[in-house]
Amino acid sequence: MVTRLKDVDAVTVGFGWTGAILARELTKAGLNVVGLERGPDRVPGEDFILPSVRDEVRYAQRLELMMDNSIDTITFRNFPNEQALPIRRIGAFLPGEGTGGSGIHWGALLWRNLPSDFRIRSALTERYGKNAVPDDMTIQDWPVSYDDLEPHYDRFDKLCGASGQAGNLRGKKIDGGNVFEGARNDHYPNAPIKSSNAGLMYGAAAKSLGYHPFPAPVAIASAAYTNPENVTLGACEYCGYCNRVACETNSKASANSTILPVLRLDPKFELRSRCFVTKLNYDKAAKRVVSVTYTDMRNGEEYEQPAGVVILSSFVFGNVQHLLLSGIGEPYNHDSGKGLVGKNYAYQYEAGASAFFEDKELNPYWGSAGMGVVIDDFNGENFDHGGLGFFGGGYIACNTAGAPPIAGRTVPHGTPEWGSDWKRATVKWYHHAARFNTQGSVYANRNNYMDLDPTYKDVFGRPLVRLSYNPPDNEYNMSRFLQTKLEGVIKAMNPTHYDMHPRPKTFTVVPYQSTHNTGGTMMGADPKSSVVNRYLQSWDAHNLFVQGASVFPQQHGYNPTGTVGALAYWSALAITTKYLKNPGPLVQA
Amino acid sequence: MPGAISVAAFSASMLVMVAPSAASAADADHGKVVFQNCAACHTDKPGAIGPSLRGVVGRKSGSVDGFHYSDAMKRANLIWDETNLHDYLKDPQAKVRGNRMPFGGVNNPKDLDDLIAYLKDYK
Repeated sequence: MVTRLKDVDAVTVGFGWTGAILARELTKAGLNVVGLERGPDRVPGEDFILPSVRDEVRYAQRLELMMDNSIDTITFRNFPNEQALPIRRIGAFLPGEGTGGSGIHWGALLWRNLPSDFRIRSALTERYGKNAVPDDMTIQDWPVSYDDLEPHYDRFDKLCGASGQAGNLRGKKIDGGNVFEGARNDHYPNAPIKSSNAGLMYGAAAKSLGYHPFPAPVAIASAAYTNPENVTLGACEYCGYCNRVACETNSKASANSTILPVLRLDPKFELRSRCFVTKLNYDKAAKRVVSVTYTDMRNGEEYEQPAGVVILSSFVFGNVQHLLLSGIGEPYNHDSGKGLVGKNYAYQYEAGASAFFEDKELNPYWGSAGMGVVIDDFNGENFDHGGLGFFGGGYIACNTAGAPPIAGRTVPHGTPEWGSDWKRATVKWYHHAARFNTQGSVYANRNNYMDLDPTYKDVFGRPLVRLSYNPPDNEYNMSRFLQTKLEGVIKAMNPTHYDMHPRPKTFTVVPYQSTHNTGGTMMGADPKSSVVNRYLQSWDAHNLFVQGASVFPQQHGYNPTGTVGALAYWSALAITTKYLKNPGPLVQA
Repeated sequence: MPGAISVAAFSASMLVMVAPSAASAADADHGKVVFQNCAACHTDKPGAIGPSLRGVVGRKSGSVDGFHYSDAMKRANLIWDETNLHDYLKDPQAKVRGNRMPFGGVNNPKDLDDLIAYLKDYK
């Protein structure tokens, strides 16, 4: 029996970055908001504290903050003619669970897309000719411009206490920042975090080759900082235990550390954790979502929560699954190419390297999530693709986010993987190893998509999302190109030894590669080519606003969270200033 | 000039020990600025990582209701008078070994005096 609850003004389905931002903006506008989160509540004072956050086995290996695969997962296949199988333990990507979502364990890299990224199909056509974009490359212009989003990128920077060096302030280029970035209206709220020895060596080598190195922008406070919500963030202590774990000093921004301290005091807000939304109840004739159905995971009881506004703010796979299961929008059909829900899935194409410097002390144990020195010379349309045989690019970084005891033992290729030779090698090289990465874009392809699996179901009996994905040749060639550029910089650093780590041509679901999954509910200018409009409002349900990276039409050569945060503020502004006054479609189809 | 720094630190701690009233020369307004480094965790908002520091001067160590102190802090058995606060905030692990506050200490003696002056008024 389903218990029907009292109406509320708004409900969020999922409570990570976007759920928290929308809940905060909507309660400020006077709405009563219920935040529904499938996982546990995560409270800094209970869950982000020493000594437990330094437990690398618990968090980095056993993945305590990640989705629980005994409840649900996705199925995977490389190609549409294969049988997909369920991922029984997540590996290549690690969606988070619990309040804060993936925004707790993230690497805190806070990037903006390039202005040209937002009009990529037009930009490629103008620069390389009308027929330059291959037929199977289903990229689209975004329905928003960089200038539309700039104030919202800025807001998210300030919420997070971001640290970095501006490279383009209101059109003025600043040496030492990213001179390729779109014009920023303001500096980062905090000075860049420190650079490690390896980062400084990388920056000097990159500069000697004529590139433009700068410290990576991060959602980490380099100094104590009070954000516009009047929440104080701590100065980073460079402990080096950042990835896959929470931050013990409230330096790495999360919804839990930047917004929730305020929301928890707000009588207009109610958080319901361990409440797993299983269905959006859709009234197709009225074009609205009437309510959401959820299961309280503590006792198995089912509830129906009616709401005026529904914010769909789960991870990419959850957003797509909800729309497919609820019959909102037309599912993408790979054979015919028709339909949109599930289309344009993209997965960040990263490929790294490691280098060893026998006579250099690199002190790798200290670091900060995302800490690194970067060049952006080979991202997006920052360089000419004429004759290269691919489109896209990415930033190229020397990452020094700490080297914890289990994961931080970089050894040269050919070293045995266990035993006394391995031990000797880890001792010999620990202090002398540097790591690098290329953060490649993925331009959408018609063969990469999500739909519902015909065979496998979750614990509630709902069909799992089925992912069909393999990196297209375009991305493979793009990544090889970035690797040659990275190799050039590494050689200029004069290492004792180095290894390049190109990605294989066939994707596998292990080991870890990136959690940057995007697409499936893409935003666009009209309902013929998109699932949501420029305000992230569903074309098929006017009170449904879909948040997060599932709205990306394709993936650019940057970590997605900066754009996810900016879009959340942009969407919230449209809801509070336009939609609430006149509920209905904000863009006429 | 490492020598000069240690002399300054020594004299500052002597001042506090010998004549607590000298601390009134400390600048509580500047101490409030220094306190920003503490406020990320020591806040009154829900879910705080550290215990509230309102009224900390004169309080018994490990005594804020509902806060999960480390075993080391539970055993410390200190009164947070100016001397103990001074020693603790200068080097937390030296004063209470094994406590779980992720903070290396206030290095600048003037900052430390000002911070304690601010904490005296922070109620």
